[in-house]
Amino acid sequence: MGIDVMTETTQSQSPAIELDALCHSYGDTEVLRNIDLRIDHGEIFGFLGHNGAGKTTAVNILTTLIAPTAGTARVCGFDVATERHEVTSRIGYLPADVRMYPHLTARENVEFFAKLSGIAKPSAAVDETFEYLSCSDLADKRVGSFSTGMRQRVGIAQAIVHRPQVLFLDEPTSGLDPVGVRQLRETIIRLNADLGMTVFMNTHLLSEVAKVCTTIGVLDHGELIYKDTIAATTERFPDETSLEDIYVRMERSAP
Amino acid sequence: MIATIARQQIVSLLRQRTFVVLLATLIVMTALAGVLGWSSHHTIVGVYDEAVKLLASRGDPAPPNPFLLEPTLALLSNMAVYIPFIGALLALVLGHLSLVDDETNGIGRLIFSRRISRTHYMIGKIVGAAAVLVAVLLASLAVSTISLAIVNRTMPTGADLGRLAAFYALSWLYLMVFVLIGMVTVLITRRRSLALLSAMGAWLVITFAFPQITSGLRPTQSLNPIVDPVSTSQAFFRFTAKARPYSVVEQYKAASASILRTAGTESTTSILRQVAPLLGLSIVLAVVGIGLVDRHDFSRGSNDE
Repeated sequence: MGIDVMTETTQSQSPAIELDALCHSYGDTEVLRNIDLRIDHGEIFGFLGHNGAGKTTAVNILTTLIAPTAGTARVCGFDVATERHEVTSRIGYLPADVRMYPHLTARENVEFFAKLSGIAKPSAAVDETFEYLSCSDLADKRVGSFSTGMRQRVGIAQAIVHRPQVLFLDEPTSGLDPVGVRQLRETIIRLNADLGMTVFMNTHLLSEVAKVCTTIGVLDHGELIYKDTIAATTERFPDETSLEDIYVRMERSAP
Repeated sequence: MIATIARQQIVSLLRQRTFVVLLATLIVMTALAGVLGWSSHHTIVGVYDEAVKLLASRGDPAPPNPFLLEPTLALLSNMAVYIPFIGALLALVLGHLSLVDDETNGIGRLIFSRRISRTHYMIGKIVGAAAVLVAVLLASLAVSTISLAIVNRTMPTGADLGRLAAFYALSWLYLMVFVLIGMVTVLITRRRSLALLSAMGAWLVITFAFPQITSGLRPTQSLNPIVDPVSTSQAFFRFTAKARPYSVVEQYKAASASILRTAGTESTTSILRQVAPLLGLSIVLAVVGIGLVDRHDFSRGSNDE
């Protein structure tokens, strides 16, 4: 497989993701409070938290969809608020419940996003991506007829077609059956191993986090209450038998 | 980037069943305009022929055939009615479909996590919809030309074709107003059903309510060929008379009548003056659309509706 991660430059020695006193509010409601976070290149980061903790808002900021109300967020050393084009050149994004143009085929959809990313040979990149994800059979079918699992595979294709350095996945296992979950897990690990992609994943599925992620962060009511590697986390909580038990303990002990 | 957005827009629109049904309806109505024109022509000529026979039997001279006094394009005068009704609905749906998937299916999140500017995105959407509208009206123009050729039993002259093309260009500008209304309502309301309802509300006001206020209130205006209102001292009528130039459907119908020569011939300057409100409204709506997209929150997904 000749797929390569994009070779655009990063700011020298900068981490893949860096949040500094990041805050976001919707009106009077504070969703993110003073988040400081650093994720190095090559990590698979699992962002955990209950519903409404602020995980999706953080991803929306990091993918430049919304601007932070205070603090800074940088991706590959570039500020998401002021250097949007530099950031969007380096990221891929798969939102929860991904939808695409239902009247276009999978190939047409992914090629459209490839062109928006400004890559030189979009058609070749699409073929290569479908082949890499083993979903060439879906390429010429209209997306409107796809199941959730099929949509998810095409969604990943659009997210990586331009070979981003950092891949954002928001609840990627949502709506998938066990086979789909396993395929997704294998894809994430492969993307990280083959292409060196940094992966930032919002999820509730703690069993998947334990199998996929190298580092986790726990968000509680907009505050980052924990961040460490999976190995260090297991060592720190020797009495707990699973990541789920550890997570529940963290949530209960949160202020 | 603008071309990429526009191309996607065109392919996506042409594959949507709702759009195809509306397009077919407009084409059928165009053909119907020709049939109605032929029917009218046939009836008048029939009556004239009978009258000529009657006059000849009395030894009286026959007046000239009234239909030969009519301009050739008068056969299509119904088009100036169908365009504001069926055509405007088609245009609303076209504008609505152009943005609604990006807004309510959450595709906007994917688009704006790419290196595209929001202004380019909206311009691409407008260009795509405008191109589809051109294709629709070219199809309608072809049907109109064929209808004219059949009814008149001869191909329209170059001058007639020129005027017909000018009518369709005017119609394109008029319908762009509704395409843009369809887009703006999606951006304002953010909900699929509410957006379409709001757009329909705007269509009703522009097509029916506003003309009623600006000219329909004057009973003398219903009596053709009186065009200018009878002077009155009533303040309300004075106000509504001043509002008349802003009724785009009135301006469209007046300009259409001048171009097709179904009413008195007017100068090009006069026609351009009638077109100006349409052009102005289109520009204002396009600028509003670009401004709305620029400040729009596309981070919400399909579950947020």
